[in-house]
Amino acid sequence: MFSEEIKTLRRLGFRHLLLQILNFASVIASGLMLWKGLGLFFNTESPIVVVLSGSMEPAFYRGDLLFLTNPANERYHTGDITVYKIPGAEIPIVHRVLETRDILVSNSTNESKNDPTRFAKYAPGPNQLLLTKGDNNHVDDIGLYSGLDFLERRHIVGKVRGFLPYIGYVTIAMNDYPQLKYVVLGGLGLLALIQRE
Amino acid sequence: MHNIYARFNGVSGLWSTCLIALAVAITLSSFVFTADPKGKVDLASLKVFHTKAKRYPYKQEELGFVKFNITADLRPLFNWNTKQLFVYLEAEYTNAQGVNNTVVVWDRIVRRKEDANIVQSPKNKYKLRELSRSFKNVSPAEFSLKYNVMPYVGVLTYGEAARTASFDMPEALDAVS
Repeated sequence: MFSEEIKTLRRLGFRHLLLQILNFASVIASGLMLWKGLGLFFNTESPIVVVLSGSMEPAFYRGDLLFLTNPANERYHTGDITVYKIPGAEIPIVHRVLETRDILVSNSTNESKNDPTRFAKYAPGPNQLLLTKGDNNHVDDIGLYSGLDFLERRHIVGKVRGFLPYIGYVTIAMNDYPQLKYVVLGGLGLLALIQRE
Repeated sequence: MHNIYARFNGVSGLWSTCLIALAVAITLSSFVFTADPKGKVDLASLKVFHTKAKRYPYKQEELGFVKFNITADLRPLFNWNTKQLFVYLEAEYTNAQGVNNTVVVWDRIVRRKEDANIVQSPKNKYKLRELSRSFKNVSPAEFSLKYNVMPYVGVLTYGEAARTASFDMPEALDAVS
């Protein structure tokens, strides 16, 4: 089946193979540059995320693609949809802001986390405490915050600005069925190598 | 030149280009619709009660209880690229320390144009609480009806349909159980 391809590969020689590998690498590198460039421009660690859970249905379903921005000097408002990541939890969560409190958060770690009145002392400031909730959930997210009472700005990955349905399902399928990932990547690699100009 | 790879490559390239162009066109098309419907919301009642704090049962906490009337015809917001509306009532006040607070007390998801004419007299779905556990000395609260238009493809937009006058938070009452 591939005998013809192998023959052409022989004919074109080693330099051609190297050139194709270089082409393939440059495609991957430019993709990575675009991703990181967008991330720098929008001040977020991942400018595009795939929805992994059904907690925002019927707005967002598994596999939908979201475009994020996170301007450093812009406050979050109620109704904004945020993507946040609690330290210790690996998967970022997409939920809607239910409460905002514009306070000055101190970064001191000696403060007693168990003192329920500690927020009462806080002065107004440029930071924010946020409480979120998934549209499809019945209760707010306090239970997901691993002990925190509120999200702070440093937990926020970005604010959802744009929406594209279904496209991200490819990555979910690849995660659920790893064989598919190898088949697709292997196929693409092979194609890139034996393609003739 | 006319092998199966070239054909597959050509067809899938054409398809994805067409799909991207279509998505961009739909996104741009929704900027043409600039509906800005206004409605009305008034407070029917605003009360504050002493309760036990949720996470710290040995502490007391004041909670606000709101009843309100909404009349808002949001049907103009539905165009061919509107998947759903997220409609919510936000309470806004400044506490005794000067911290600005916004709290969603009620929300509703509207998925069909027929349901977008909202005439309702609900009470708060979510708790209205304060960081300092007391509404003493907070600024008068304003309530506003806001909406988020969520598209099939494209940009999420936000708007405000109505706003109440300022209401003083009343003195906390003891809960009757």
